[in-house]
Amino acid sequence: MKAVCWMGKSKVETLTVEDPQLLNPHDAIIKITRTAICGSDLHLYDGFIPTMESGDILGHEFMGIVEEAGKEVTNLRRGDRVVVPFTIACGNCLFCKKKIWAACDNSNPNAHLMEAAYGYSGSGLFGYSHMMGGYAGGQAQYARVPFANVGPLKIENDLPDEKVLFLSDIFPTGYMAAENAQIQPGDTVAVWGCGPVGQFAIASAFMLGAARVIAIDRLPERLEMARSLGAITVDYSEEDVSVLTALKDLTGGIGPDACIDAVGLEAHSAQLQGTYDKIKVALLMETDRPSVLRQAIQAIRKGGTLSVPGVYGGLLDKVPFGAAFGKGITMKMGQTNMHNYMKPLLERIENGQIDPSYIISHRITLDQAPEMYKVWRDKKENVTKIVIDPWAETAA
Amino acid sequence: MSPALNEKPFAEELPAASAAGVILDGRYLPPPEDKDGKLWVRTSALVQADAQELYAMWHDVEAAPAWQEQISQVVTTGERISHWTMQSDEKTIEWDSEILADEPGRRIAWRSIGGESDNAGEVIFEEAPGGRGTIVTVLQEFRMGKLTSAWETFVGRNPKQAVIENLRHFKALAETGEIPRAKHQPHGDRGVIGKMKASTYGEKVPIPSGSN
Repeated sequence: MKAVCWMGKSKVETLTVEDPQLLNPHDAIIKITRTAICGSDLHLYDGFIPTMESGDILGHEFMGIVEEAGKEVTNLRRGDRVVVPFTIACGNCLFCKKKIWAACDNSNPNAHLMEAAYGYSGSGLFGYSHMMGGYAGGQAQYARVPFANVGPLKIENDLPDEKVLFLSDIFPTGYMAAENAQIQPGDTVAVWGCGPVGQFAIASAFMLGAARVIAIDRLPERLEMARSLGAITVDYSEEDVSVLTALKDLTGGIGPDACIDAVGLEAHSAQLQGTYDKIKVALLMETDRPSVLRQAIQAIRKGGTLSVPGVYGGLLDKVPFGAAFGKGITMKMGQTNMHNYMKPLLERIENGQIDPSYIISHRITLDQAPEMYKVWRDKKENVTKIVIDPWAETAA
Repeated sequence: MSPALNEKPFAEELPAASAAGVILDGRYLPPPEDKDGKLWVRTSALVQADAQELYAMWHDVEAAPAWQEQISQVVTTGERISHWTMQSDEKTIEWDSEILADEPGRRIAWRSIGGESDNAGEVIFEEAPGGRGTIVTVLQEFRMGKLTSAWETFVGRNPKQAVIENLRHFKALAETGEIPRAKHQPHGDRGVIGKMKASTYGEKVPIPSGSN
């Protein structure tokens, strides 16, 4: 089959590899009908996530048709149409029973690598480094899905793939970000980063009762999209704009009730601290560039809630923990507990509350993927979301 | 020294186990230190199954190859004795193991009695606080020297890590009926460095079969 492989920092190739096989009784093989490139794949592209190896198949947002089901998979049959969650969960450990699916104890075969870095291992993820499981990803024509009796969501309507594909990660991730922000009716919510997760966080914040959402980014196409959802936008790259002042001005001086960092470890900053973080990362004195996290802690109101769906990987420098303590804020974060959200959010799509396909800007083939990683990383061609049809041929 | 396993199981009798060898008289007990040619590892796992069921699974030594890395065969040869074969690539080591203590639903202790492995160990099953499952604690001792080098060469893993991984496999098998695995999946060319790293990640050690 064809698959998009990580071949080193800033190096992605579409290669012909072997087809996946059933390896365990709860596995299923999915013939992928649509897959996507996630903003978090750019962290892999840029070499920020350790334990990626040459040859690893990328991709964790995918859906398709069950090709083959293992002998213990009783709920799926060949031909079923499914969306696959990017976190892999066993359904039986203490964490799955507590519905903290992203903390599953049993789905990461390389848990020892993560234990060394984080103390304990989270769940395995598709196509996201050996530390996170070493599972082959879904930017391919087929994928092996472990614990297929627990994760995949059956789609039993005739909605097109593009409307339900984002149940695999970014819609639930944006929704959980808004839920983690503990939004009360009437709240003002600030969202840093208006990429796909930020977009769904904005939409979800309104669903959960926010009276005002303030969206912060620098790319015009994203800010335009955020305004179309009803958000007020702040372009941090404009010379005369201070985000902290803007958030005070828009909240009567008290700051947002909730802040959502949908940017994560590769934040850009127009200020001196952007340069500072780039130097410290280059000198291996920190691993992540936390300028959004710093700003959100500074901006949030007293007693507010900071929700972090943006990915962080390692060690951060100069995080103003004193400000966090001094204001008594709550912080909630982590990989998405996908399995809690897929079904209820599918219902919201089915009843017409939201059509997640509005964020798609590019539809490509597997062969075009390597080039599009670069285009998206460099923020060219007004990319907002790239969807791949793994069976389409590139026109010559 | 933990009272859970006597430091000299070859010379003295095992004392009665305390609460999984981790608590004594309300105080936390650190694991024994490596010294005098011995290497110790203590590890624990919280498993969603009852103690009796887990005890039975551990006690079924002939099924150990399903969840213990590189154990190719175990044959019961006496009431308390079994013969173990460990295989890696083309090398094989064998030893006999004797059960020293056997308390159904609670505790098993063993030691090697001759052969190419010099080890002793104990496993304790106890209900977790709040009834949240069963805490399984394993304490394992190895003699250094021949054994360690054999383990490191044969297993491709640090011997302590092998004990930790085996308990992880045991827990996964008990909770889900299978052992998670990512080997033998499709991938592009690994290159020279990638192949080397597969070894450092422990990915060269075959994952036991589980229920396959």
